[in-house]
Amino acid sequence: MSIKETQQQSRLLRGVHRTLTGLHPALESLIAALVGLLVGAILMAVWGYDPWKAYIALLQGAYGGSYEWASSLTRATPLILTALTFSICLRAGMFNIGAEGQLFMGATAAICISFFALPPGLHHIVGLLFAAIAGAAWSLVPAALKIMRGVSEVISTIMFNWIAKWLALYLAIYVLVDPIRAEKTVSIPLSARFPLLVARTDLSYGIFVSVAFALVIYFLLWHTATGYELRAAGLNPAAARYGGIPNKRTMFLSFILGGIAAGLAGATIVMGLPPTYAIYGGGGLPQLVNMGFDGMAVAMVGRNHPLGIIIAAIFFGGLNAGGRVMQFYGSSPVPLEMVRVVMGAIVIAMSIPELIRVFPIVATGSRNLLRALRGNRKEESA
Amino acid sequence: MSDARTPTKNDFFLRAENITKVYSDGTVALKEASLEIHPHEIIGLLGENGAGKTTLTKILSGLLPPTRGRVISPKGVVRFSSPREALDFGIGMVHQHFALVGTFTAAENVALGFERPFSLLRLAKTIEDLKALMEESGLQIPLDVPVEKLAVGEQQRVEVLKVLSRDVDLLILDEPTSVLTPLEVDELFILLRRLRDAGKSIILITHKLKEVQDITDRIVVLRQGEMVGDVKTSDATTERLAQLMVGQAEGMDAVELSDSELPVRRVLKPVDRSKKSILHVEHLTARGNTGDIAVDDVSFDIHGGEIFGIAGVEGNGQTELVESLTGLRVPTAGTATINGINILGIDPRQIYKLGVAHIPEDRWELGLVLPFTLAENAILGVHRWKEFRGHFSVLKWGKINQHVRELMDRFEIRASGPSAPAKSLSGGNQQKLIVGRELAKDPAIIVAAQPTRGLDIGSAHYIRQTLVDMREKGRAILLVSADLDEVLAHADRVAIMYEGRFMDVCSPEDLDRKKVGMLMGGVTAAKETA
Repeated sequence: MSIKETQQQSRLLRGVHRTLTGLHPALESLIAALVGLLVGAILMAVWGYDPWKAYIALLQGAYGGSYEWASSLTRATPLILTALTFSICLRAGMFNIGAEGQLFMGATAAICISFFALPPGLHHIVGLLFAAIAGAAWSLVPAALKIMRGVSEVISTIMFNWIAKWLALYLAIYVLVDPIRAEKTVSIPLSARFPLLVARTDLSYGIFVSVAFALVIYFLLWHTATGYELRAAGLNPAAARYGGIPNKRTMFLSFILGGIAAGLAGATIVMGLPPTYAIYGGGGLPQLVNMGFDGMAVAMVGRNHPLGIIIAAIFFGGLNAGGRVMQFYGSSPVPLEMVRVVMGAIVIAMSIPELIRVFPIVATGSRNLLRALRGNRKEESA
Repeated sequence: MSDARTPTKNDFFLRAENITKVYSDGTVALKEASLEIHPHEIIGLLGENGAGKTTLTKILSGLLPPTRGRVISPKGVVRFSSPREALDFGIGMVHQHFALVGTFTAAENVALGFERPFSLLRLAKTIEDLKALMEESGLQIPLDVPVEKLAVGEQQRVEVLKVLSRDVDLLILDEPTSVLTPLEVDELFILLRRLRDAGKSIILITHKLKEVQDITDRIVVLRQGEMVGDVKTSDATTERLAQLMVGQAEGMDAVELSDSELPVRRVLKPVDRSKKSILHVEHLTARGNTGDIAVDDVSFDIHGGEIFGIAGVEGNGQTELVESLTGLRVPTAGTATINGINILGIDPRQIYKLGVAHIPEDRWELGLVLPFTLAENAILGVHRWKEFRGHFSVLKWGKINQHVRELMDRFEIRASGPSAPAKSLSGGNQQKLIVGRELAKDPAIIVAAQPTRGLDIGSAHYIRQTLVDMREKGRAILLVSADLDEVLAHADRVAIMYEGRFMDVCSPEDLDRKKVGMLMGGVTAAKETA
């Protein structure tokens, strides 16, 4: 390939890149979602499934009727909150990966309310409060390490996720265990369960907790001085300091808010997800695991905006709900794992504009390498 | 300029033909601009901000593709897909905003440009070459300190050396002299002339008419994307150039120079020194980022209705002094009070409450949050004011937007509206936004660091006039500037700072250019006579 051809090619790529980065963020997310679905379709075709039929099944399973909508929204409920955890911290300039662990602690704390009786309503509030406090408390140590000692929040939150997981497991198996059914914890009493929003589905009033919290965060970030300080510190810490904004306070606040969101996510699962209203210790916390990490994907697709997150969470919730239908569909059902492939592909596709930027660099690099090799050969022959 | 060097039609190095550039937002930055660059010549590119100088040089150096038109060399049409290809071709550019890796040393930053994928880092050789180059060019910089710890002026010298070390045929310099002493400017010009005589082409972007007439062979003037003049320097007069650039007859040059080459001072109300001073600084000492003493036992007073100017080459402690007085740096010793209240080591927010407005040196890093909108930037630091913030910390966007529109009117900030992102504004408008925001605080003291650097003449003039107006209203103003003429023309008293100390504090009338130049270079009158 001549230099000229490479030049033309990289120019084309740059053009594509400019077109892609010039897109509205929402459109970018939409394209990423379509690319993800396309990649999934190709993989299904390679493995001998019929992608067309599978996606129709997925779509119907996700949004085909009120039952399907309900089940998608159920799955979106905790994702909205864990996505907010990631986004709030990102807006403040930090990479908080701790939603997973904070969610475990929130769920565990919410289970604790089973041990005392309160009137309905109050019992709900106490449950949410317990979960929020537990989530916030779990984010406190990484926050303090970051603020006081400059410890990378990425490392500390990942570590805390593991501690939380095993702590939650221990508590579920040995402390909060249901004396009758040892594979799960005690169940949340009726007085603290979120009533179902749609009968004969698993969608509960818990979704209102998620949406309300998202709206509160939206209002906080863009309509209060506190949120303004948080965003300023995230975008330009030096200018924020110049503007009299204490960076440490915005860091602390974002971690606490993130912890509250993740804790609430745990509460919406144990207090709002039928039929057990409990944590399963057996099988390693199956209802809770990955909710925090999926939240990060939702945050990306939702462009770290609370309103975008709600839409992205409904999409991801739909994939999860529809995926279950897809695996029972027709003569050659597609396994649920394929849905996770699609999710992964979407997350990768989100970074396509950046990827395309890398191509010309790689092209130039390999050209230089070739040139250098050729040069060496000439020297050797001479 | 001699006939022997006058180029013939054929031996051009590069030719831009009918270049038109339309940005994706519809802005026409260049209209049918053509420029021929020959070896053995220094071209001065004159024009206000937004005239298209930067766009033209970006197209020449491969950072932007032209919308229409082409760039040709004697070998044919040239197209670059990256600045690196332009560098390989022999075109290097020193930008006004530096492209340095902050945590790398100067040597590492230079070596970084040589690095190719899968090649070895030749650091030892780079240091050797750099030392030779510094010897030759007279530009001195510490090679083993991370560049983020160097002052802006020193960082610029790293940039100049970086490009010079690349052995380019065409060197493009964007406002290179704005941070150098008169002596260093002379040295740079000697270097540029030497490079020209060695056959190189040089494009110098500048606002300074005197400079452009001193050094260039040819002057190209741009106005609103159009090439309005291409004249031999020997045929150009200052008045003619100014007129071409601004498009009107009256001389709007930054500072008028009198026959003695000193700026003309406008008649100002005398300072009333009978009252107590507003800012009182005594024995202030502060360390720089490297841990060395940057501000060394500095004492001064500023009265109401006075402009106290600090001149000097950048990197001599001005930045650290300003940071100490605005709460961004904790000094090691000394006192500083505003109307008797201590301001050292306290939070910037507390300092603002005492009536300090700060126009920062680095408007991109400190003064603005670039992705924020105009409105969001306009309340930075005052976002907790009662007018803007109601119960539960809720921001009153209606009032804020109204305030921003008033600022836009009063300070002639040209933008589409309060919700335009700050990064979409031109440099002059960004600075006016900062000045407007700071003056809206109705401050007792204005600390203005390099308030007009890199601005077009119109904006610079406006900002200087605003500072003078504030002086007339009885405010105390600390003006720190590397632009000597700016300080001499506006300050009531001038301190010349060198290596953290005030070499001299005096009235500008008692100074002449030679004396200032020597003081800036650390030579006192006493030493001279000795």
